Order: sequence, then C-alpha cells, then structure tokens
Amino acid sequence: MAIIDMSPGEVRQRMMEDLRRALKRPMEKRRWAMVIDLQKCVGCTACTTACVAENHLPPGVVYRPVIEKEIGRYPNVRKNFLPRPCMQCENPPCVKVCPASATWKRPDGIVEIDYEKCIGCRYCINACPYSARTFDKGYYYSDGTPYIPEYEKKPAFEYGKVWPRNNREDSPVGNARKCTYCVHRLDKGMLPACVTTCLGDATYFGDANDPESLVAELLGSPRVMRLKEGFGTKPATTYLV
Amino acid sequence: MKDIRKKTVEIDGEKIKMTRRCFLKSAAFFGGIAALSQVPGMGLVDKLASAGTLLGQNAYPFDKPENVIYTCCLQCHTACTIKAKILDGIMVKVDGNPYSPMNLNPHLSYDTDPKEAVLYDGRLCPKGQAGVQTLYDPYRIRKVLKRKPGTKRGENKWVTIDFDKAIQEIVEGGNLFGEGNVPGLKDIWAVRDGKLMKALKKDAKKVQMGKMSVEQFKAKHSQHLNKLIDPNHPDLGPINNQFVFLAGRIEHGRKEFAKRFVKNAFGSVNWYEHTTVCEQSHHIAFNEMTAKYKGGRWHPMLKEYFEDYGGGKHHLKPDVPNAEFVIWFGTSPFEANFGPTHWVSYITNAQAKKNFKFAVVDPRLNKTAARANYWVPVKPGGDAPLALGMIRWIIENKRYNEAYLRAANRAAASLNGDTTWTNATHLVRLSDDGKRGVKLLRGDECNVCDQHLFMAVSDGKVVTFDPYAKGGEPVVGDIFAEGEINGVKYKTAFALLRDVVMEKSLEEWAKEAGVPVRQLIELAREFTSHGRKAVADMYRGPVQHTNGYYNGTAIITLNLLVGNCDWKGGMMKGGGHWHEDGSKKGQPFNLKKGLHPGKIGSYGITLTREKWRYEDTTLFQKDGYPAKRTWYPYTGNVYQEVIPSAADGYPYRIKFLWLHKGTPALSVPGANSTIEILRDPKEIPLIIADDIVIGETTMYADYIFPDTAIWERWGTPHLTPACPTAGSKVRQPAVESLVETCKVFGVEQHISMEAVMLAIAEKMGLPGYGKDGFAPNLDFTHRDEFYLKAVANIAFGDHGGKDKVPLADREELSIFKAARRHLTKATFDEARWKRAIGEDEDLWRRVVYVLNRGGRFEDASRAYVGDKVRHQFKSQFNLFVEHVALGKNSFTGENFSGIPIYEPVKDAAGRPVVFPERYEFQLFTYKHILGGQSRTISNYWTMVSELGENYVQINTLDARRLGLKDGDRVRIVGPTNPKGTIPILPGEEKPVVGTVRVEEGVRPGTVVASWSFGHWAYGGRDVVVDNKLIKGDRRRLTGICPNASMMVDPAVKNMCLTDPIGGSCSFYDSKVRLEKV
Amino acid sequence: MKKTISGLVWLIAIVGFVVGFYGLYQRITTGHIHTDYGSYIPWGLWVAAYIYFIGLSAGSFLLSTLVYVVRVEKLEKIGKLALFTAFGCLIAALLSIWMDLGHMGRVYRVVLHGNLRSMMTWMGILYSSYFLVILVELWFAMRVDLIKKAREGSGICSILSFGSTDTSPKSIQRDRKVLKVLGTIGVPLAIAFHGGVGALFGVVGARTYWHSGLTPIAFLVGALASGGALLTAIVYVWGPDRDREQFREMMKYLGKVVLALVLIDFLLEIAEYFVGMYPGIPDEAEPIKAVLFGKYWYVFWIVHVFFGVFVPSVLLFKNAVSQKVKNGAAAIAFAGLLIAVTFMAVRLNIVIPAQVSPEIEGLQYAFTGPGLEYHYMPTMMEWLVTIWVSSLGALLFLIGYTLLPIVNEEDREVA
Ligand SMILES: Nc1nc2c(c(=O)[nH]1)N[C@H]1C(S)=C(S)[C@@H](COP(=O)(O)OP(=O)(O)OC[C@H]3O[C@@H](n4cnc5c(=O)[nH]c(N)nc54)[C@H](O)[C@@H]3O)O[C@H]1N2
Ligand SMILES: Nc1nc2c(c(=O)[nH]1)N[C@H]1C(S)=C(S)[C@@H](COP(=O)(O)OP(=O)(O)OC[C@H]3O[C@@H](n4cnc5c(=O)[nH]c(N)nc54)[C@H](O)[C@@H]3O)O[C@H]1N2
Ligand code: SF4
Ligand code: SF4
Ligand code: SF4
Ligand code: SF4
Ligand code: SF4
Ligand SMILES: [Mo]
Repeated sequence: MAIIDMSPGEVRQRMMEDLRRALKRPMEKRRWAMVIDLQKCVGCTACTTACVAENHLPPGVVYRPVIEKEIGRYPNVRKNFLPRPCMQCENPPCVKVCPASATWKRPDGIVEIDYEKCIGCRYCINACPYSARTFDKGYYYSDGTPYIPEYEKKPAFEYGKVWPRNNREDSPVGNARKCTYCVHRLDKGMLPACVTTCLGDATYFGDANDPESLVAELLGSPRVMRLKEGFGTKPATTYLV
Repeated sequence: MKDIRKKTVEIDGEKIKMTRRCFLKSAAFFGGIAALSQVPGMGLVDKLASAGTLLGQNAYPFDKPENVIYTCCLQCHTACTIKAKILDGIMVKVDGNPYSPMNLNPHLSYDTDPKEAVLYDGRLCPKGQAGVQTLYDPYRIRKVLKRKPGTKRGENKWVTIDFDKAIQEIVEGGNLFGEGNVPGLKDIWAVRDGKLMKALKKDAKKVQMGKMSVEQFKAKHSQHLNKLIDPNHPDLGPINNQFVFLAGRIEHGRKEFAKRFVKNAFGSVNWYEHTTVCEQSHHIAFNEMTAKYKGGRWHPMLKEYFEDYGGGKHHLKPDVPNAEFVIWFGTSPFEANFGPTHWVSYITNAQAKKNFKFAVVDPRLNKTAARANYWVPVKPGGDAPLALGMIRWIIENKRYNEAYLRAANRAAASLNGDTTWTNATHLVRLSDDGKRGVKLLRGDECNVCDQHLFMAVSDGKVVTFDPYAKGGEPVVGDIFAEGEINGVKYKTAFALLRDVVMEKSLEEWAKEAGVPVRQLIELAREFTSHGRKAVADMYRGPVQHTNGYYNGTAIITLNLLVGNCDWKGGMMKGGGHWHEDGSKKGQPFNLKKGLHPGKIGSYGITLTREKWRYEDTTLFQKDGYPAKRTWYPYTGNVYQEVIPSAADGYPYRIKFLWLHKGTPALSVPGANSTIEILRDPKEIPLIIADDIVIGETTMYADYIFPDTAIWERWGTPHLTPACPTAGSKVRQPAVESLVETCKVFGVEQHISMEAVMLAIAEKMGLPGYGKDGFAPNLDFTHRDEFYLKAVANIAFGDHGGKDKVPLADREELSIFKAARRHLTKATFDEARWKRAIGEDEDLWRRVVYVLNRGGRFEDASRAYVGDKVRHQFKSQFNLFVEHVALGKNSFTGENFSGIPIYEPVKDAAGRPVVFPERYEFQLFTYKHILGGQSRTISNYWTMVSELGENYVQINTLDARRLGLKDGDRVRIVGPTNPKGTIPILPGEEKPVVGTVRVEEGVRPGTVVASWSFGHWAYGGRDVVVDNKLIKGDRRRLTGICPNASMMVDPAVKNMCLTDPIGGSCSFYDSKVRLEKV
Repeated sequence: MKKTISGLVWLIAIVGFVVGFYGLYQRITTGHIHTDYGSYIPWGLWVAAYIYFIGLSAGSFLLSTLVYVVRVEKLEKIGKLALFTAFGCLIAALLSIWMDLGHMGRVYRVVLHGNLRSMMTWMGILYSSYFLVILVELWFAMRVDLIKKAREGSGICSILSFGSTDTSPKSIQRDRKVLKVLGTIGVPLAIAFHGGVGALFGVVGARTYWHSGLTPIAFLVGALASGGALLTAIVYVWGPDRDREQFREMMKYLGKVVLALVLIDFLLEIAEYFVGMYPGIPDEAEPIKAVLFGKYWYVFWIVHVFFGVFVPSVLLFKNAVSQKVKNGAAAIAFAGLLIAVTFMAVRLNIVIPAQVSPEIEGLQYAFTGPGLEYHYMPTMMEWLVTIWVSSLGALLFLIGYTLLPIVNEEDREVA
C-alpha cells in the first residue's frame, strides 16, 4: 500500500513490525534509518523535548533541535522547520578524528560514543558538519535554585546502560554526546522517543536494509534530500522535502 | 530568522546572562527537603566503576507496565492523557497514553494487554513532557505559609505555620496579622440549615418577581435578617455569599469537589472559574446557537458552565480527517487550541493526502498558518466583517446549501439526510421600525395557534410547528419570506441575516476586515466548494473582544450555510464521555444529586451578576438604568469581575477570598487595579490561596496552602470535541506528593485544595463530610473517597450496567499494585480505595481496569456511521438567537441582537471606544506551543532552553518607520496605563517592557507578544520564609506580559473591556504605543 | 637592567602563579562549568594557548637545532637555553590542553588505545616522543655542566646528573654526537608535530576556515616566528652576554631571522585571508570577516597587525637589518617580546573564528544553553588557568635557569 493511503495508525503499526522483524536479524544485517518529512513537520519541538527528557540531557546538550526559518515578505510569508538529529553518517567524520577510539560506528550503522572511553577533547564536535554533537559540561537545569531535584540525577539509559548523574564529573559529564537513535529503546522493541512523540507524524524509523520496511520504501521517494551531502558523509537520517 | 543575541536577557532594566549561572547557596526551601548542594570533588580521577554500569543487558525499564502509571496532563487546559514513567518513585519521563485518542491516531484497542501497550508511547506536546520540571520545581511550596504579621500583603515575608493552626485561624478569625480583627469563616457561615436556605430563596424570588414586598419578607424572616447581606435586598442572598472561591480553570473532578464544598456545604453562590479570560464568548456563541427551546423558555439557560450547558453545545469542532477544507479563525491548532497533541497529526496527515486544504485567519503568521494553504492576516477584530462579507458573497452567489437551510424542522431535515437543521426560515417578529428581529414569531403572538409553536412560510403559506418533534410533517420554509400576520410584521431569520450582510458592500466588509476583497471572495468560494466537508473553526482570536459573541456567531453561521454538522468531515460535537458524576440511571454513585446528607445549598445574586437579568432584581427596582456595573444574563463565572466587583461593593462586599489555581493579577488584561485591591486588607479582609508555588496573585494572599501538583492528584477531565469517539480521562496520583501531610478526620493525607476543604469541614462541622459523609458507611475523610466514586461511575458506564468495562484479571491486579509500590498510605491505600466504592469487589476490579488505562476510551472504529459521525448533535441551530435578542444591556437598556452583527468596540456603558491617534498599534497576544498559560515558566527544558524569553513582535515596515531593530527594548503603553507599569508593591512598579523582534509574519499596524512570560513571582522573586532569604531564579523573570497595558473600561474603571453577552475579557481591542527604552 | 627585568619576570610569574591558582582550583573542583567554550565553539582559549605554547616550543626547539645539528657558530651558546625554553613551553602547552579535556584521567587512552586515523592520536604519539627527545637532549647538553655544578655542591644537579661523572673530552664528544642525532631526529619530529597540529585543524572538513593545505605550513612558520621571537627576548635577558660583541651579533642575527619569519608568516596570512574573502562564499568569508571586522577586530588590527607585525618589524628593521644602529639588542629583544606575546592573538584568531558561524543557519536559535552559542569570550576562570599555566612555564624556566647550568656561569654578565 502506498504510504499516502495508509492511516497514521497503520504507519505506526508497520514501523513497530519493521522494528520487530529487524531485531530478529543479526545486528550487522541492520541499517537503522530515520526519515523526516519536512512537509509534515510543524516545528512543535515535541521531539526536541522528548529527547531531552528521554536521555536526561543537561543544559547545553541537545540532540534534536528544530531549526525554524521564516520565508518570504508580508503577506506572502511561510515558515519551514528542520529537525536535526544525528545523521548517523555512513562515513562519519566524527569517528575518524576521535583520538581515543571512543566513538565508533556500530554494525547497525549507529555511531556510538563510548562514554567510558571518551576523553572529552571535543575534536569530534568540531569535525561534525552538522553540529550534531554537544559537550556535557556538567550542569543541572536547577543550578541556581534552592536545590537540585532528584529527577536530574536519575540515570539515563543511553546505549542500554545506566548513567546516573550524581555529580558533576562522572560520565557522561565531560563527554561529547549526541543522538543515539535511542538504541536502548530499539533493543526493547520500542521506537525512538522523537518518533513516537512526533506530533506531525513526520518522523519515520526502521531498517533501511529491509526492503519490506516503511523507511526503505520512503528512501525511494523522489522527495528525498540529505543534508550537506557534499561532505561525503552519507547520512542515514534523510529528509523528504 | 534574525539575529537576536540570546546570551543576555534584560529584566526590568537589568541584564542577566542566561547561560552560565552562578551557584546560589540557599537554604532549604520552606522547610521541605533539605538543599542537596553539589560539592564537586576532584575531577581528575575517573571513577570508572560508578557510571556506565551495564546491568545484565539493556537496563531500560520502561518496557514494563509496573513502571508506568497512566494519568493526565494539565500543563495547559487540554488535559491530555499521559503515561508517567516512574523510576524509584520519581517521574522521570512523560509520554502519551496509547489507549487514548488524544495521543495515538487511532488509539490502541481498549482491551490491549498493558504488557503490550507499554511498548507504545503516544504523542505528547513538549509542554506535557516538560511537566517533570513543574512537578519537581525547586520552588514548590511544601508547608503552609502565613503572611508574617506586621508585613504588608505582597511583601513576601512569610512564616511557616502548622496546618491545623492555620485552619483554626481561618475558621476563628481574630487579630491574625496585628492589623485588627478579621472575620473568620465561622462568622460568614451564617445560614447553616438547608431548609432555611430554601425558604429564604423562595421568598427572595417572590420579592424579585414583585409577588412579595421587601417589608413582608422582612417580617416573615425577622429572625434571620442578620444572616442576610442586606435585608432590603433579600435577592442578594445570605452572608454565606461573602465567601468567594475564585479558581482559574479548575479541572473536572476538582470542580465538583469544590462546588460541593462552596455551594452545597458552605452555602455560597460564589464559586468561580476562569473561562471568561479564556474564550467564553465562543462557548456562549455555540451554546446560544444550539440551545433548545422547551416549553416557554430557552431551557435551561447557561447553568453550570461545561456541565449542563442548557441543552446547547458549547463547543463544536471540525472532523479534520474527513474534511476537505477548514478555516481556523484566530487560533493555532499546531500551537494552542485543544490541542496540539491531538490535532496536529490529524491535520498533517490529512494535508499529506492532498485532498485537504486549510486557511488560517490570524493577524500573525502562527505556526499553523505557516503551513496553511491560505494565510489571511485579518485586522484584529476583523473576523465579523470577514465572515459577514463572506456570507454576503455566498448569499449573493447562491452558494449556500439551500435545502439544508430551508428545512425548518427535524422531519424536513431528515428528508435531506440531515440530522440537524436551522431556524433560518422561522419567522421573526420585527420591531416597529421593521429593522430589528425582536422575537421568534410564536402562534400566540399573532393569535394563530398554540404559544409554543413556531412559524414559517411554506410555499407562501404560514405553517406552525414544533421543530424538535420527532416524526410529523416536514416543513420546508421559504427562505426570504416576509410579511405581516394580524398586524405583526415578520421576516425569516435568514432574511434578517441577509439584511445585515447587505448593509455593506463586499469592498466595505473587506476593508473593515483588513483583507483584500479578492481574498475574501477566494475564501468564500473555497469554503463553498466542498459540500458539507468544509468547516469554519475558531477559538480565542475572534471572541476575546467586546463584540466577541457576535464575531463567534458570525463564524458559526458560515457553518450553517453549508450545513456541515454531524456529517463526516463536517462540524461535530465530539464523542463525549461517560458520566463520572453518576447522573445516569443505575450508576453506582450519584455525586451530582444525593450523597450529600444535610446539604445546605445556596441562593442569591452572584458577585459578578452572571446568569442574572438586571431587570429581575431589586437593585434594578432601586437604581434602574444604567446599572453600576454590567450584568451578564448569558455567561457564567466572569473571572475578571470578581475582585473589582468586591471592591466596588456591587452588588455587595465580600469577606473572604480563596484563590485557587488562577492568577488574575497576571492573566487578566488591565488588571492593575485588581492588584491594588488585593494589596489592601480593607478591601478584602482575608485572602487564602492554595498553590504549588508562590504565584503572581497568590503572593498577595494571607495564607498559602501547598497544593498537590497535577501528577500527584485526581481529576476527571473531558475529551475535546475534536475527538469523534467517547472518552473519559482519569487523572490519578502517579507519584507521592512532595507536599507535607496533615491529618484530617484522623486520616493522613497530603495538604491540598481537597485537604483544606475537608479540614475546614471537620473544624466547622459542615454537612456531608467525615464519617458517613456521603451516606451510611460511605465516609468522606480523604479525597480518594470522592474521586474513586467518579472512576467507579465511569467503569460502570452510562447504560444501566450494560456497558461496564471488563474485569481486571489477576495479572492486571498485580500490575496495578506493583505500579504503585512507591506510594505511601497517604496516597494509595488499597483498603481505603476499596472502601470508597463500597467494598464492591466486582466494581473494584473494573475500577482497576480503568486506572490501568488512565481512563475509558471508546474504540476508534466507532467514530462514524455511514457518512455521519456517530455522536451527533441532532438538533436545531438558532440562526436567530431569540434568547439573546430578548436580553438587554444593563447600562443602556437596549436589546442585544439575535443575528450576528458587526459592532464597534464598546465600553460597558455601550459607548464606542475611541483611541487617540498616537496609540498607533493594535495589541494582541498568542500562545506559544511551549508556554502553558502562565504556569510553565519553571520548565527550563522548554521555556529557558528553547525560548529564553518572548518578544514584542512587529512587522518590518513598522520597525523601519520607527527605527526599531531586533533586540531593542520597548515599553508598551496604553491610554489607561500611560506609564506602562504594573503596581507590584508600593514603590515597586514593574515596567511593561520587552525585546523587539522584527518579522514579516505580523500584520503591519499591530504588535504582538506571546503569553507565558513576564512573570514577577513564581519562583523568580526573592522571598523570605521564617526569616531566611530564598533567592529567586532570574531566568523566570524574562520576557513580557502586555496584559497590564490593555485598555481598562472607562465606564467601570477598574476592569478590562468586556463582552456583555459572552463575558469574555477583551484581549485584542487595545491600541498601544511603543516607547523605546 | 637585565636583573630588573629578570626580577620583574620572577615577580610576574609568582603573582601569576598564585592568582592563577584560583582558576586551577575552580577548574579542578567545578570542571568545565565556568568556561565559555562548549558545543558550538568547542575549542577556546586553552586550545589557543596550547597551539601558542606548542608553537613557541617548536620554534625554539628548531632554533636549538641550528646549534646542535647545523652548528651555527653564532648561536653556539644559546643551544641549551633554546632547548630549555622549548621544554618550558612544552610543559605549558601540555598543561593547557590537559586542562581542556573533559576527562583528564583518560589521557593515557590516546597513546594506549589511540585511533591512528586521528590527527590527535598522532599528536599524542609525537608529543610523547618529542617530550622524550627534549629531555634527553637537554640532559646531554647539560651533562658536563651538571657534573661540574654537582661538584660545586648543587644537590639538584647531582641528582640530575644521574650518577654520570665522566667529563672527559671523549664523553663530551660523544654528547655532541648524541645531540646531533637527537637534534636530527628532533627536526622532523618538531616539524611533524607542529605541522601536524596544523593538520589537526586543517583536516577538519567541517570548518572551512581551517580546512586548507596551507594550514600546516602556516602553523610551522608561525611556530618559528613566535618561538624565535621569544627566544630572542629570552636571550637578551638570560642569554650569555659576557662577550658583548658576540652577544650583539647574535641578537642581530636572531633579529634578522625573526623578521624574515614574521614577514613570511604575515604573507601567508594575507594570502589566506585574501583568497578566503575574494569569492565571498559565506562559509569561508564569514570567519575572516569576523576576524577583520567583527566584534574583536582590534585583536587582529591592533594587537596582531600593529603590535605584533608592524611595530616589531620596524624595530627589527632598524636595529637588526639596517647597519645604522649599533646597540639595538634591547630593541630587538623588545620586538621579539612583542611578537611572542601578541602571537597569542594569531592563535586565538585561528582557533575561534572558524567556529563562529553555525554549521546550519538558525541553529543558534533552536536551542540555547551553556555552550550553545556562536560567540566566545573566555571566562575569568579560563584566563586564570592560562595565566597559571603560563606562569608555571615561566617559573619552571626561571627555577631551572637558577638551579641548572643552562647558561654557563662564565658566560653570564658579571654586573
Ligand atoms: N501551547 C498552549 N496551548 C494551549 C494553552 C496554552 O496555555 N498553551 N491553553 C489552552 C487554552 S486554556 C486555550 S483557551 C486555548 C486557546 O487556543 P487558541 O485560541 O488557539 O490560542 P491563542 O493563542 O490564545 O489564540 C489567539 C490566536 O488568535 C490570534 N488573534 C488575536 N487577535 C485576533 C483577532 O482579532 N482575530 C483573529 N482571527 N485572530 C486573532 C492570535 O494571533 C493567536 O494566534 O489553548 C489551549 N492550548
Ligand atoms: N497575554 C495573554 N494573557 C492570557 C492569555 C493569552 O493568550 N495571552 N490566555 C488566557 C487564557 S486562554 C487563560 S485560560 C488564562 C489562564 O489564566 P489563569 O486561569 O489565571 O491560569 P494560569 O495562568 O494557568 O495560572 C495558574 C496559577 O495557579 C497556580 N497553580 C499552578 N499549578 C497549580 C496547581 O496544581 N494547583 C494550584 N492550586 N495552583 C496552581 C500558579 O500560581 C499559577 O500562577 O490566561 C489568559 N491570559
Ligand atoms: S552527524 Fe555528526 S555526529 Fe553524527 S555521525 Fe555524522 S559526523 Fe558523526
Ligand atoms: S570528545 Fe570523546 S568522542 Fe569526541 S573525539 Fe574526543 S574522545 Fe572522541
Ligand atoms: S533518536 Fe532518540 S536520541 Fe536521537 S534524537 Fe530521537 S529521541 Fe533523541
Ligand atoms: S515532533 Fe515532529 S512535527 Fe514536531 S518538530 Fe519534531 S519532527 Fe516536527
Ligand atoms: S496539550 Fe496541554 S495538556 Fe496536552 S500535553 Fe500539552 S500541555 Fe499537556
Ligand atoms: Mo484558556
């Protein structure tokens, strides 16, 4: 069924099934991919906040900002919105430059940062053409208020591990951080947080290597656009314009 | 986007750096949890062991239902269903509830196993997700605060006080602040007996109707005259009415809880909530246009807002997934409305299918307009001219659905396949000059038949009929009939409408609307090109005006022209809900009627004179026209009126004000005098509040009780009508409250609005509380005992036991308990919960089934039947609203119009408001998707990180003309606030100053700012508690709230301009000037 | 006069060390919280300080090779001083970059688990080698003098002589050979690592401003210019100056070298900026515009061009090139000092501007927070740490100079 004819519920169900099918296959056979339909994105930033909350991101760390742009002159004005997660590049400049072998490309295509290895040199941050990486300097949102509430210290579950934030020095504080495609959720058969919360139903996710999957179908659309392809990064995150 | 440096933000002339903050060493907050200061140790050595522990395999815990509780958001009033994810008792993440149509489209089937459902996170707007930061706001109050004796209201010097002591002081009164004696509640609870209340009420009514003289009344009730506010005006009611409960949008569940206390136990009529500051005129427009006529009166008139709206509907919405064209007037479903969580995906998916277009009529390029097929940058207040101009074009070009409009009764409608019809062809009696529609022509008026039959001209013949009758003869009326019967001149309602729209040419209408005539026609043509699948929706934009009601009815009328209601893709009333109030036959607990032994009840003129016709009162007999302040026969709960009316003592002064979850000082336009009144104990001797923080208004209270936050408490919100299927949402405690506990009726519970009511009831012996408070063996000692009954009613269903929810099986019961393992007995006590529903094991298991799903939701497949929606309005639209046409302006004595008209901006005295030339900008505001009213400023994820502040947005042309550029600071000054300040305290005036942002997407000649910023309290202000200074967080004080510069009504002088019909505050009529600072 | 200067330097170094210590304390206790660099501008003052010091180090080291490898007679006596300056600067450089790391304790990973595709890993490896080379070279250069001093009763020297007692000409001869070998290894090493630091920036495709083949070359020339200049200044104060004539000649020689280097460096700069600006491609032009006409334009025009190029060039030309002035040593040294100090501006203008334009326009408004900004001003703490690090380097130098036979006693002026 062409995607245009599918109800949003069917789309969601299909992505869930795609995900389950992909998880049954060995990791190296999968190639996770995200497709963002810019015609459906309304710039609500639910995804931005979902990601911040899901991954307990501190101030200054953001994985999926949404960039807003006003176009035209009054009264012919419109706005465009561009959500920007990690591109999970096939050819990631961030990996190449990492001196500590802390960031690496997993067999399923996700570029992972090993928080226990990262020395916090921020070379990768400079090397990413998408500014997709940010540096965790160890803030709390409640800095400057009477106390730091518990929720800010509760662990995040990035990469399936437990990352409490009890102080200002343990990893991931002091590390480069970026979108993980929510692998901790994928493993559990759940779609990434920005996908499930997307108000515009504008974000699709799945295994690009599976020709049956929804994302594979979308990747064949004439509307496909990738950011800054000139860098040869071959992003797995793709836009439909 | 323009470059505005976000790094520093200016607050009241002081620059603060938003990004790097110093660490304040402040003391424990309000004696609650101790400050957990961070002492970073040596960062040199890696503690590899402590972080990054891989627990077995993937440690993510939220694929297990026992780590999740489904409840409801209320960061804005949409009250979306949510899924609270809980880790060690802390709510760490909020997502959408996949069982609910609010969050998944379509939602999971209701019988989905919670183990499977937990893998689905539903959509949720960013505010809802940021709720974590409201819940765990470090500035939340945990103990009862009392204004420190010897300090002034608003000075923010507090002492913590024991809960019981506070209740005692409030009840007893006395010299509480060293300022002389203050009356306690015991002095205000005058009439303490239900029978007496009824007797007084009955006779007061007689006095009003002229059936009893005041002297007779006094003689009859001579022993009780001291219990009345003014024995010469018995219709003002008892002294009990001087107890006033003023809430913001208090939610369902709590509403009923509080009404039981205020109206039924304490005996005061003065229970208020806030919808007039919101979009009341839109509700009133719908309500009046859908109200039913039953036996001699429009029945029932607006009674209790939202609940029983008088047979009329207060809110209809487009069925977007099936519509082909929608016009959104003054609203942004992508940002606000009700609400983005639910609506955005409907719209984007419909649009992606290419057979859906939409237009947005808004002076600002809102985010919805940013994606719309048409953006119509109307002049603020230009909605009625636009709609009326469109109607003129539609009528002139015969593009209206004639068959639909000609159907004069139910039978005729059904011939067309319709379930609804209008009174377009009903005959209206004309005024002597033949210009005004006075009243629908009834048989008795021209002596043709029964007094309750309506009339139409069919094929040139006058016919009479009951339009609502099931079956009977179809009446197909002549659409433009006019004439005279037995000396009575008449016209059809539709002819009257035609007369109105013909008053101006298309060009003139377009000019008034501020849009090119080409665009007006384009819109009208598109609107009438999709059969019944075109809808005109609206929200605050067109209605928060002095003429809001008329603007609203003009827009609704567009829908009548295409006859879209109840059709797939048309306008619908939504799926509705199961009756949690137990009012349906057979439901286990009727909370609406009964279950209140010893109920006292209430009577009298409400402080804001709403639902009262001035002409029916003894005050009218005394004063005549003009009234001292406006009377509101059609609307309810006139929020902005409460405090100013009390100060004017019109109709009477008050003794006690309870502020709950609302902040009139900030959220109401032109509310500076409200602040001044609150500051003065002579105006209102005792003010208490319950709040989660010290807010902009509650900071002026004498006592503040901590309240439970929305994730810690109960509620039973209703679905928006944009959901075609039925649903009953349940808010339930997801986490243990941070607030201190108290003991009431011997039961430990968290201090909250409910606990305060229960404690006052205990202290004063109010009826209907404590042991056997509901009925024998049904105690009322804890909030649970009220709300669980509501949940039980939902679980039981509306159809006499035929539609109960399934029983929770053993596994579900254990998930239910496991998910609540972090809650103490003060919150979750299984035994108490079961007792609350009468120890009925069967019912309990159904209640668990509902609670495990966060409510009850009809299956998505049941949305439609054939080409119609399943849940139908099935009734008449009043194109001519007789009920309104019969009412009068209480200042001028002039009748209102039964037909939508275009009226200039007027003050209370009915005089057009003229702004001096130099006030060149029309001011309006909007809601940003990240701002939830004024109560999300603690949400650093969104308000600080994504926004930082809001802006004074103006068009490039205006900016160039005034030499303003991005980042400049300007003061917004209006004719009634020439200094552009807010009188926070003597000697402290907060300037209404903001940062300019120059944009293309703002209509030239207007200036707009988003809402939710411009705070002066809410954790932003330094406060002293028990002599300890608690530093405010300056990040919360950024941005601007322009409300204070909006126009104060020159006729009443201490309140904003207001719509006398709909009651709405005027938000968008003020003209202002920008002064560079 | 020189005593006064030396005393002044001591004073500044001690004060800097003490005051800067607060920055260090903050850095250690609060991590990166009080810094202004972050995510959109990931590298700030400390990285600039690092390439600054490492440049100084490489520059003076390369000059030392003129002594040990090329055997330039004129410079004979300042070999050790050059080496030791290189050492002090290297320490300051390494401390700067170490402070900059998010996890200082993991720095070993770069060497032990390095990713050989990363220029930074290579930096790690090359530094370690360079560090060793300098140490060993220094030891051999000082060995004999250490032994001598040890005999005179210097405890430090006796420890540092590591039990070596042989002062025979043969052993001296052997030392020279070793020095030559080490120096010879050192040259490519210094070129590699400093050119490599340039490459570390140059290979970042995402930053057009850095991404140029010229970057490594510019780094090298800059290193030579700034290192040479610093050495020139140092030589004036602490160098062997008993033999006035020889000293003057040496200063002139250094002056000429430095002038040449500064001008070449400036030429490269002009080339870079001109080519970058000309087509007006925003990615390339924006950073340059920021340097030339941005908020901190004066850093380029006043600090760098005026005080770092123009004034010193005039001074050097007058005092080192033109034959008119006889005793221009002080002026030459002052020119050297100006160049060396203001070179920090060049380093800042390399590191920061590349990062000031958003990779995606509008990103700066999408989400804000500490480190999510495209403008940078080092915080007090950053300055303090840099002051501390510089002071530490200076103190190391001064103490070493006092305790160790860096400049032989007999070469020092009596006065
Ligand atoms: N994000 C968010 N969503 C919310 C809420 C919230 O606080 N935040 N609150 C909820 C509540 S209580 C409400 S009442 C709804 C309100 O929902 P909306 O009515 O959609 O919200 P507002 O932004 O208040 O609506 C005003 C809109 O009308 C435009 N406008 C102003 N004047 C005029 C005019 O004269 N004519 C026309 N045509 N347009 C005009 C404004 O630009 C703005 O876009 O939102 C609900 N949803
Ligand atoms: N400029 C401008 N003004 C507006 C609007 C606008 O669009 N622009 N929108 C208007 C609309 S639509 C509305 S509905 C009103 C809303 O205005 P209000 O009804 O006055 O409500 P809020 O702004 O939400 O203020 C709620 C207050 O209640 C307190 N509070 C918050 N949470 C809790 C709680 O859980 N329990 C208790 N007890 N107290 C709590 C806080 O002190 C907070 O200040 O604002 C109106 N004002
Ligand atoms: S987008 Fe950036 S961080 Fe992500 S893989 Fe590509 S280069 Fe690395
Ligand atoms: S910051 Fe961490 S991940 Fe990035 S390059 Fe440095 S060590 Fe590698
Ligand atoms: S996939 Fe996960 S980590 Fe990446 S942007 Fe979305 S929510 Fe954030
Ligand atoms: S949640 Fe979806 S619609 Fe909203 S900004 Fe993100 S991608 Fe766009
Ligand atoms: S729309 Fe309102 S109620 Fe719904 S999630 Fe957002 S803030 Fe909460
Ligand atoms: Mo509202």
